[in-house]
Amino acid sequence: MEQKTVHMSAAELREQRLKVLYRILPIVSLLLLVALWLLASSGANSNFPTPQAVWERTVRLFTNPVKKLTLIGHSLVSLRRIGLALIFDWTAGIAFGVLLGWCPRARAFFGPLFNAFRAVPPLAWIPLITLWFGAGEFPKVLIVIFGSLASIVVNTQAGLSSVDKMYLDVGTVFNATPKQRLFKIAIPASLDAIFAGVRTSTSAAWMVVLAAEMLGADSGVGFLISRGMDSIDMPLVLTGMIAIGIVGAILAIITQIAERLICPWTRKRK
Amino acid sequence: MDEKKKVILKLENICQSYVVGDSVKDAAENVSLEVYDNEFLVILGPGHCGKTVLMNIIAGLERPIGGRVYLDGEEVHGSDKRIGMVFQSLNLMPWRTVMGNVEFGLEVAGVSKDKRRAIAQKYIDLVGLKGFEKSYPHELSGGMKQRVGIARAYTNNPQILLMDEPFGQLDAQTRYAMEEEVLRIWEQEKRTIIFVTNNIEEAVYLADRIVLLSNCPAKVKQVYDLSVLERPRNTTSPDFLRIRSEISDNTDLAL
Repeated sequence: MEQKTVHMSAAELREQRLKVLYRILPIVSLLLLVALWLLASSGANSNFPTPQAVWERTVRLFTNPVKKLTLIGHSLVSLRRIGLALIFDWTAGIAFGVLLGWCPRARAFFGPLFNAFRAVPPLAWIPLITLWFGAGEFPKVLIVIFGSLASIVVNTQAGLSSVDKMYLDVGTVFNATPKQRLFKIAIPASLDAIFAGVRTSTSAAWMVVLAAEMLGADSGVGFLISRGMDSIDMPLVLTGMIAIGIVGAILAIITQIAERLICPWTRKRK
Repeated sequence: MDEKKKVILKLENICQSYVVGDSVKDAAENVSLEVYDNEFLVILGPGHCGKTVLMNIIAGLERPIGGRVYLDGEEVHGSDKRIGMVFQSLNLMPWRTVMGNVEFGLEVAGVSKDKRRAIAQKYIDLVGLKGFEKSYPHELSGGMKQRVGIARAYTNNPQILLMDEPFGQLDAQTRYAMEEEVLRIWEQEKRTIIFVTNNIEEAVYLADRIVLLSNCPAKVKQVYDLSVLERPRNTTSPDFLRIRSEISDNTDLAL
């Protein structure tokens, strides 16, 4: 990294110090967490695994797979499930949200039903879905869809129904057709709201898939945690939890980058 | 009436009122006026006296309760391609670049990409924004945004351009510069301009004719012909100041 050391003004110096501080603070919090962890696990009869035990368990997971899959393999299985669910969310869910937000009649027709549907927690569907579709991949993807669809629909609907009239006025003055008003004005104007839905549906899907896997699956990160629980293998549980945290953070970063690429105008200049 | 004074737009007894809570608020009352081809008409009025309402009615953004709008002798209902608008609140689309905003009207009209790019470029150059085609609105200053709004309205080649207090939110210096810009563009690309303002000096500086409206509800109070004042106008010349104070004395105070 290049650092200016010659003739740095007081303002630049202050800016520089703040930057360094902001870089250090996350590392400090991480170190504190590890210290706390060491403290909690060092007790004589502590049933909480030490960082070292978790690290060794993680390494062993690569050489000694559980159900033929390493940690990466299980993570990919979980990601595949949410990937399939999100493809549905981001096509059908966005389309449904556009319909609800743009067409008051559709809102009046579907609105109450949809509100009742989204009030039911996705895990409550597990008995019915298992009864209908058994225990394959499809029912798991379906549960993830049930748990993540509402956030994208609600955000899209909110965006479409609150498009500023002044943008639509421009369309009126230029004699835009209803289709042009929707595709050239209303949807672009709602893109940031839709993207908020993309972000929340992604994190919701990641939460739901793990819960669904803990309840009945033989692969996925959620399965690793329930396997750890059943065999009193706490290091495995923690390995799973850390993997969840890391993958979740990576997903959040990816959606953020995608938003910046697709909606460059939301990147405000300082 | 000679050739130059051809009536292009005519408002006949326009009335508009709204229900606000439990009462009815009148915004415009029997407004009738004629607009001549290629003239610079300024509609001047105090505060919120219904000037924007008149603009919206001409642009087809709202329907009047009563009265008619005639364009080239034919009655018009709703928006018309021959009328363009520069909005008070800019209304630039933040997700489109300068080029994207300026070519919007042509895109909606189905003009091919090459052709609309060329036309939009001409007006971007005309308003002095060459080099900013790829900028987004949030990267521009207030005056530059207003130039984009003007270029966008010109691009669809309307016969009549409505400008609704376009410089109300600019600082005084930028405002003077933009007033000169508008006159320069109008000299270069002759159109009928209907310009709304509550600023008397701006009105006298720009107008061929001024239509003075009363305070709410809007009624036509008086029409001033300013063709005696030669352009470019000097805002400190005796004639300018005389007309300015004459109009000023006749203007209602906005509450």
